[in-house]
Amino acid sequence: MKRKLAAAIVIAGMMVSVSACGGDDGKDSGKNAGPDSFKGQTLTVWTMDGSAPPAWSKDVQAAFEKKTGAKLKFEIQKWDGIQQKITTALSESNPPDVLEVGNTQTPAYAVTGGLAELGDLKKEIGTDWTASVSKSSEFDGKQYAAPWYFANRVVIYNKKIWAQAGIKDTPKTRDEFFKDLATIGKKTSAEPLYLPGQNWYFFDGLTIGQGADLVKKEGDKYVSNLADPKVGAAMEIYKKYASYSEAPKDKDEATPQQAEVFAKGKTGAFIGMGWEAGTAVAANKSIEKDLGYFTIPGETADKPEGVFLGGSNLAVAQGSKKQALAKEFLKIALSDQFEGQLAKLNGVIPNKESLESNLQGNVVAEAAAPAAAGGGTTPLIPEWAAVENTPNPIKSYMTAVLNGKSPADAAKQVEGEINKRLAQQN
Amino acid sequence: MRRSALGRIWPNTIAVVLFVGFVFPVYWMFATAFKPTGDIIAENPVWFPTDVTLSHFTKAVHADHFWTLVLNSVTVTVCSVLLSLVIALFAAFALARMRFKGRRGLIVTFMLAQMAPWEVMIIAIYMLVRDNDMLNSLVPLTAFYAVMVLPLTILTLRGYVAAVPKELEESAMVDGCTRTQAFVRVIFPLLAPGLMATSLFGFITAWNEFPLVLILNKDIGKQTLPLWLSQFRTAFGDDWGATMAASSLFALPILILFIFLQRKAVSGLTDGAVKG
Amino acid sequence: MSVQTEGTDTAGGPAVRKATAAPPPGGAHAGPAAPARRGAAAPYLLLLPALLVTAVLLGWPLVKNGMLSFQNLNPRQLIQHLTEWNGVANYTEVLGGSDFWHVVERSVFFTAANVVLIMGLGTLIGLLLARLGRRMRLLLLLGLVLAWAMPVIAATTVYQWLFAQRFGVANWVLDKLGWHAMADYNWLGTQFSTFAVVTVLIVWQSIPFVAINLYAATTTIPRELYEAASLDGAGAWQSFTSVTFPFLRPFLYATTFLEVIWVFKAFPQIFAMNEGGPDRLTETLPIYAFVEGVGNQHFGVGAAISFLTILVLLVITSYYLRMVLKQEEDEL
Repeated sequence: MKRKLAAAIVIAGMMVSVSACGGDDGKDSGKNAGPDSFKGQTLTVWTMDGSAPPAWSKDVQAAFEKKTGAKLKFEIQKWDGIQQKITTALSESNPPDVLEVGNTQTPAYAVTGGLAELGDLKKEIGTDWTASVSKSSEFDGKQYAAPWYFANRVVIYNKKIWAQAGIKDTPKTRDEFFKDLATIGKKTSAEPLYLPGQNWYFFDGLTIGQGADLVKKEGDKYVSNLADPKVGAAMEIYKKYASYSEAPKDKDEATPQQAEVFAKGKTGAFIGMGWEAGTAVAANKSIEKDLGYFTIPGETADKPEGVFLGGSNLAVAQGSKKQALAKEFLKIALSDQFEGQLAKLNGVIPNKESLESNLQGNVVAEAAAPAAAGGGTTPLIPEWAAVENTPNPIKSYMTAVLNGKSPADAAKQVEGEINKRLAQQN
Repeated sequence: MRRSALGRIWPNTIAVVLFVGFVFPVYWMFATAFKPTGDIIAENPVWFPTDVTLSHFTKAVHADHFWTLVLNSVTVTVCSVLLSLVIALFAAFALARMRFKGRRGLIVTFMLAQMAPWEVMIIAIYMLVRDNDMLNSLVPLTAFYAVMVLPLTILTLRGYVAAVPKELEESAMVDGCTRTQAFVRVIFPLLAPGLMATSLFGFITAWNEFPLVLILNKDIGKQTLPLWLSQFRTAFGDDWGATMAASSLFALPILILFIFLQRKAVSGLTDGAVKG
Repeated sequence: MSVQTEGTDTAGGPAVRKATAAPPPGGAHAGPAAPARRGAAAPYLLLLPALLVTAVLLGWPLVKNGMLSFQNLNPRQLIQHLTEWNGVANYTEVLGGSDFWHVVERSVFFTAANVVLIMGLGTLIGLLLARLGRRMRLLLLLGLVLAWAMPVIAATTVYQWLFAQRFGVANWVLDKLGWHAMADYNWLGTQFSTFAVVTVLIVWQSIPFVAINLYAATTTIPRELYEAASLDGAGAWQSFTSVTFPFLRPFLYATTFLEVIWVFKAFPQIFAMNEGGPDRLTETLPIYAFVEGVGNQHFGVGAAISFLTILVLLVITSYYLRMVLKQEEDEL
């Protein structure tokens, strides 16, 4: 499985950089492109809800408009139905010029021919992109996107509730975590953990922790590997977590936004991305002082839980008529200055090891980093994207197990659908 | 046919129960929208809002481009309804009043057209609109909404036209009117209430339509309110106050229009009958 | 008050009224010379705009959809504007699996259950309207009109709230009525309960149309017919079966036809409620076509399913369409 290898390279990068702090290279990226050549044009950039913090967007916009003389328009996209939206948009004569694409989705879009080849850009600004991170934006040996950032999930908890339960330290192993959750359940009126039944990327992390693969190769085709006992073991862990939660078993973490549930102050903890803390604070300012973060603990104290290394790339639409301007944007947005700012603001892993010093002192990043070492992704094959299309059969599998089915039976129930989707022609 | 006291009570009781049943969801929508969050997520429902708050409405209206969406929705809805009424009126007149070859086939054609499952033809429509460079425009939306309601509008208006006594038209023609004049002076006034009542279908359909505008218009400046409402549903999740406020705002124009047009339609018909 | 309801007779009625008012055949009254003199082209000219827009905006997409159903159309082909014909592969894929037939079966049952409820309850309420006093009738009409006028998306959202697992009114009421297991019941958790909520929603929204129109139709029943029936010694039930029902029959046919179409096509109600879940168990044909086609980005297959959807709907409604063809034949 490629993803293990990819993850291993990420680890190597992470470990080096976190220890070697402050690798300050003042490389001035991009040459002056003459402010007049782009005057009067407007570049449209699609970013996903939550990816680009407003301060970052504002600064990038100012820098871009100053340098190129063109206008920049950020359009924030909702996750709901995004794949269809991107697909149709890429087919249009006037697509968004630059768009954020999830790392696991990139191969599927690269195959469609909707993304512009960015080999030149990589040569110019991407020679020091973290290799593994850059890998997810390659297909068939060609570069179809530029890596933007990476992140993995952490436990975000409510310090006040944990103190009420009399818990002093954050847990170092999974069993300690379970014990703490039980204590919260007993000693406080709060819900110990908010974990809806379909937080599938957390589950993906658990499968990575168990060393399980979601697909296997059969002949020259990929088929579901959900019936693997290792996947079942991961699901049992998930079920144990879910037993501390009253969250709906048939919903994912975005409906409702788990951070907003947490913001009400009646939840001990949830498992989410670092920036979701910002969502919680936006919903309820007073929650800010109670926020705490820790690494998702694993089986033993020396090895944190496996996590899904989610990431996003920035791609240029093949149909965009402003290829040069789009590349100018990428040079600015991915420059050390703004890549560093994004890392700092969102606590995400930047696309270059040299920039990871920006994460020093960032509580979220410090909680996330130890687990990143054992991180992985979904299978990085073009066929995979179809599996995650709504309704995602793996989510059905999760709900079925939480409702009492055995993992093996639940797997049997959805494998036909997964195989059908993996076999879907491109 | 005298009825006993008991015989009068039970229909009235049932009527009251039914009234409550039909009104309650509408009432609950408005009530929730005005209640502070604490009253919304209460262990025992707060049946009548005592603490009234407008904060949910503020949150709902605060969305980007809200007023642009309102304007787009109103434009598309009104234009498509007018368009379909005009086209349908011609067709209905021919179908109700004239004899010609193929008439029967045409009526069945419109009945078939009425069955078109628009939602499942989305991609075909999308590709046609895209290949004709009409994306991000209100024009195709208006046109498609008009056609969505056209068959039902024709079939309904045909009934109204047929219900106008032929003698009126004939006597007008005897008085020296041309057929067109007879139509404009005699039939049209009698049809006005029918037109209004029929237009309600168009209003509801166009106001509600969601899948088509979602795929055709990605430019938020050219989107309509259903998209706003659906985004609220996902973005707010279990924030029922804001969601209900948004729903209330969305439903209100149609509710008002319904009640207003119903009465208009009635008085129009009465007037027409008196004049006739 | 009878006028009030005349006005509410927005649709469905016409086809019926035409039929019920059959006795004076149109042909006898039409001055035979008038249309002929004005030229035989007149009706066609009047119909031209309607036919034109229908052909362009409905016919064209239908043809396009038919063509797509014979193509291998996925994101790659869509984005690069490629046309890859693949014969009947999409149809064999759809018809070969068991999914499609399950969905057909489910759609038919779902439609049947809803239409029976709508027509049954709608008729009863319509007859009740006729029996009520003026004030009570106005009250009930108001309730019906409000339910009728609720935009579908808003209504669906409201029903999600009414049946919400936590703090939903439905669960609270059932709990208070003594059914404590329902206190935190997840209505969208099983196929049956999801369909139950959707059915309540659809029936609630559809009854007003049937009830109000049916009431309007009853007001057009000539009183003499009832008098004659009571002279013959007919009781309430007999006068219903011998006068009311035969009079309303064409109306009931027409309305049932419309309701079958509307329920079968119901899309936002089911999709917005639970996206065809749990586990795709509440997908009816239109939802299935949408999920497979647009959702799964397998557009050619989606087109094939939508074509089959239209066929199924035609089969279901063929009985009525045949009847209309005959009836129109009689009329002129």
